[in-house]
Amino acid sequence: MFEFFFKYPAAVFSKGEVVLLGGWPAWILALLIAGSAAAIGYLVWRRGGRLVTGARAFTVWALQSMLAALILVLLWHPAVVVATLKPQQNIVAVLVDESASMAMVEDGSSRRQKAVEVLEGGLLEKLGERFQIRMYRAGDGLERLEKLNPAKDPYPATRLAADLKQVVTEASGLPVGAVILLSDGAENAGGIDLETITQIRRQRIPVHTVGFGREKFARDLEVSDVQVPARTLADSRLAAQVTFRQTGYTGTKARITLKDGGKTLAAKEVTMGGEGRPQTESLLFNAGAAGAKTLEASIEPLQGEENAKNNRQARVVNVDNAKPRILYLEGEPRWDYKFIRRAAEEDRHLELVSILRTTPNKIYRQGIAEPKELESGFPSTVDELFSFQAIVLGSVEAAYLTATQQELIKQFVDRRGGGLLLLGSRSGLSDGGYNRPPFSDLLPVTLPDRKGTFVRKPANVELTAAGKDALVTRLDENSEKNAERWKKLPYLLSYQDPGDPKPGAVVLAESIPAAGGKRYPLLATQNYGRGRVAVFASGGSWRWQMQMPVEDQSHEMFWQQMLRWLVEGTPTRVTASTPKTLLADERTLKIRAEVKDRTYLPAGDARVVANIVGPNRVSASVDLQPDPVEPGVYEGEWNAEPAGSYLVEVLAQRGNETVGRDVLTFRREDGVAENFRAEQNREVLEQLSRQTGGRYYRPSEVSRLAKEVEYSEAGIAVRETKDLWDMPAFFLLALVLKSSEWLLRRRWGVI
Amino acid sequence: MRLRLALLAAALTLITFGALYGQREFRQYMGAEYYDFPLPPDWDQKSEFVLGRLRYSTHPMFGGSRFRGSNEWWTIDYPRGDRHVLEGLRRLTRLNARSVEQVVDLEDDDIFNWPWIYAVEVGHWVLDDDQVKKLREYLLRGGFMMTDDFHGTLEWEVFTQTMSRVFPDRPIVDIDNKDPIFHVLYDLDERFQVPGAQYFYSGRAYEQDGFEARWRGIYDDKGRLMVAICHNVDLGDAVEHSDEPRYPEKWASMAYRIWVNYVIYAMTH
Repeated sequence: MFEFFFKYPAAVFSKGEVVLLGGWPAWILALLIAGSAAAIGYLVWRRGGRLVTGARAFTVWALQSMLAALILVLLWHPAVVVATLKPQQNIVAVLVDESASMAMVEDGSSRRQKAVEVLEGGLLEKLGERFQIRMYRAGDGLERLEKLNPAKDPYPATRLAADLKQVVTEASGLPVGAVILLSDGAENAGGIDLETITQIRRQRIPVHTVGFGREKFARDLEVSDVQVPARTLADSRLAAQVTFRQTGYTGTKARITLKDGGKTLAAKEVTMGGEGRPQTESLLFNAGAAGAKTLEASIEPLQGEENAKNNRQARVVNVDNAKPRILYLEGEPRWDYKFIRRAAEEDRHLELVSILRTTPNKIYRQGIAEPKELESGFPSTVDELFSFQAIVLGSVEAAYLTATQQELIKQFVDRRGGGLLLLGSRSGLSDGGYNRPPFSDLLPVTLPDRKGTFVRKPANVELTAAGKDALVTRLDENSEKNAERWKKLPYLLSYQDPGDPKPGAVVLAESIPAAGGKRYPLLATQNYGRGRVAVFASGGSWRWQMQMPVEDQSHEMFWQQMLRWLVEGTPTRVTASTPKTLLADERTLKIRAEVKDRTYLPAGDARVVANIVGPNRVSASVDLQPDPVEPGVYEGEWNAEPAGSYLVEVLAQRGNETVGRDVLTFRREDGVAENFRAEQNREVLEQLSRQTGGRYYRPSEVSRLAKEVEYSEAGIAVRETKDLWDMPAFFLLALVLKSSEWLLRRRWGVI
Repeated sequence: MRLRLALLAAALTLITFGALYGQREFRQYMGAEYYDFPLPPDWDQKSEFVLGRLRYSTHPMFGGSRFRGSNEWWTIDYPRGDRHVLEGLRRLTRLNARSVEQVVDLEDDDIFNWPWIYAVEVGHWVLDDDQVKKLREYLLRGGFMMTDDFHGTLEWEVFTQTMSRVFPDRPIVDIDNKDPIFHVLYDLDERFQVPGAQYFYSGRAYEQDGFEARWRGIYDDKGRLMVAICHNVDLGDAVEHSDEPRYPEKWASMAYRIWVNYVIYAMTH
């Protein structure tokens, strides 16, 4: 239709430049148009003044002036200049996406089959009349194809950017005039990167895309993400955040499950929310014994589901065998001291080392590694204090600690990344003078500027909205039941006013005095520097142990989770990490290590080596290089070939000193990524075409592609001038203008 | 009428509140030795540590009845001995101790509000099945019991008759010298028999056939003492009479040291 009115395909106009071939300059044309409009105006108002006036006169003037302008433009010989590929001298690269998602069967045939049908249905023939054709098989690598059939095994992943880059690189020595990509756009590398787009644009090669596959499944469930900590302590309670989306199952119930091998760790029945919207559910589970674990989160397939392969995702968790040490300084014998110690003793993966002031000049130490440890009391050196992962301060006045010790505690949190917990008591928080720096800076609350905040009176506990779901305060898997369980806990025998929470602090629980009155934050947490700080504003939690049956584990669970929260994120001197612990159809492992000196300042002069062991006796040693911008950070890459589980031991050395080691695990899997986001990603294809000067086509529109592909500035092209004066649209316009005037005059009776 | 109703409502509210929220209020009982002992001025000050004195029934063998009466074996040294101990704990340690004891029993769940109990003259005690069960639960949850002032074979048998019902599966053992209870504050390797006030007229350090002091206990599964049994000694009398010139200082001092260690141990283990 477009061509009928405008004589040429739309691509001619979008790619070409409209010019006027007439000998006289364009300003004369503009002058003549203005002059003719004025003359027509004069005639209309002067000669037709009695018959046509006002709006009618204006309409007649406008129609006549437009017609005059049209005739004048045509006299100036309009044309379009467009670059056109020279026949038989250019190559058109045809890329057929042969990744696994293209093998997906829809309406009786696979997406690849449909692409082949399009090519063999006339497109190749038409292209072949004017160009040489180079066919490629694209996916996770580019392969030249002589013929389309028979089909080979599909690629496990789609990396269109890499494939296009390779084509463009090859084209630098060849007259490639255009690229035609037949794909579903299901890209696994995160889209087409800017570097690839820039390279294509530099060579002015238009990439035309033909999209295959449904843009939206009618019925599908997809686990789109699973978030679990990359590492944790043995026997930790963890939450896996499973995100999924669905189409066609709104309001339906389904079961999500978390498994370690064949063992089910957690399961939950969920009701599907809004269509297409990501929905996240939390599954609580116990990390179990030490070792690398591959956890699989899945959602059971529902009836009629079109793609059940995207119902599961795996993640790797490194369960650490470490036994972090927590230093607890207590200023007086207290029941909470006893019962917190007992709770910690029940946890074989925690070590609670305590210093208790029994008399004004005597201390009693528990949990020490050797008789001399902490003999002089609370540590005064970095070496001694930083050997712990967390600190708990009980009923001990801030003034008991020297200025050096107070500053060390601040650095312990800020620089070392340790955890700090302050307990409510008669010598704690404001009553202990912690409302002054450096403690006032660290705490998640602004302590009141007064004494007498500690009250030995009963107070009940309620969780806040954040506390219902927090791991620290999880006594029940179900968040509502959890809140109820906390409400039913025996009252605390004391509470303390810790002031108001600071911006950024999270209050997980509140104490409610039994006698009524204001609620107070009971448990507030906040990150500070590299570490984390919490305040528990009561000294009477021991009643949870003494008032509940011996079988009840509420007290133990809370304090174990509290202490684990304190130590979980505390780094060692060497901390290794990788952005992805599961390489789904990817090979490149990125390793990052942070190395600290004894005082936990960045160590930029270390030699850091990653020793990798993998399946099929694969082993390698990678030297990590210092990051030029971030001191103490070392990075490296390695290509993992066989699929399976890998173990990486990162060792850091400074001269003769071994700084430390850290272990990380990762897993590589093939044939996974293609099952996700398997609908046609039209956005990726359209964007690619738009940015490179090409066009996106549906399979039904490819007949136009064969014609439009020739308008390109790449390859061997000539600039063609195409006349526009005889374009049917102009004559039609002239006809419309004149007949409109005639019809109007007839209606007005002024012919 | 209105006033009466209001008072009744207020009383009911207080009783309900007390039952739900309160540890039982302090009450001073009439003892076997002291009928009207003066209260210290800070008796009602809330504190971290409260010495619970266990009120129990006297064994029928000793003509005992249900402990409703006050003039019973459980009141021996009460309250003077307890007050002296508490004063000693306040003076010698950083413990925030209440100046007066709390009489507790195994009749209801109030016992769980007081994690430290002292039972005296347990060679005369008897507990019924419910009380036995409650005491077992109390100790397993983390409560601590110190027994004292019972002597010789007969009283030992009476004590163990009931104690073996509390823990049929846990033996009573001699506490090793290396146990932290003897070192938590004072090093008490050298312990000796501490006699009671009977020494004033008998001149003997022992009573009945209890010639030798025995420091025994019952441990939990984690190796922590739940019950500290002081047999053939009278630590209660020793502190009770520690301000009497005729009571030898060395016995009083030993008694205080043991008391302090036992309390600090109970609050740390």
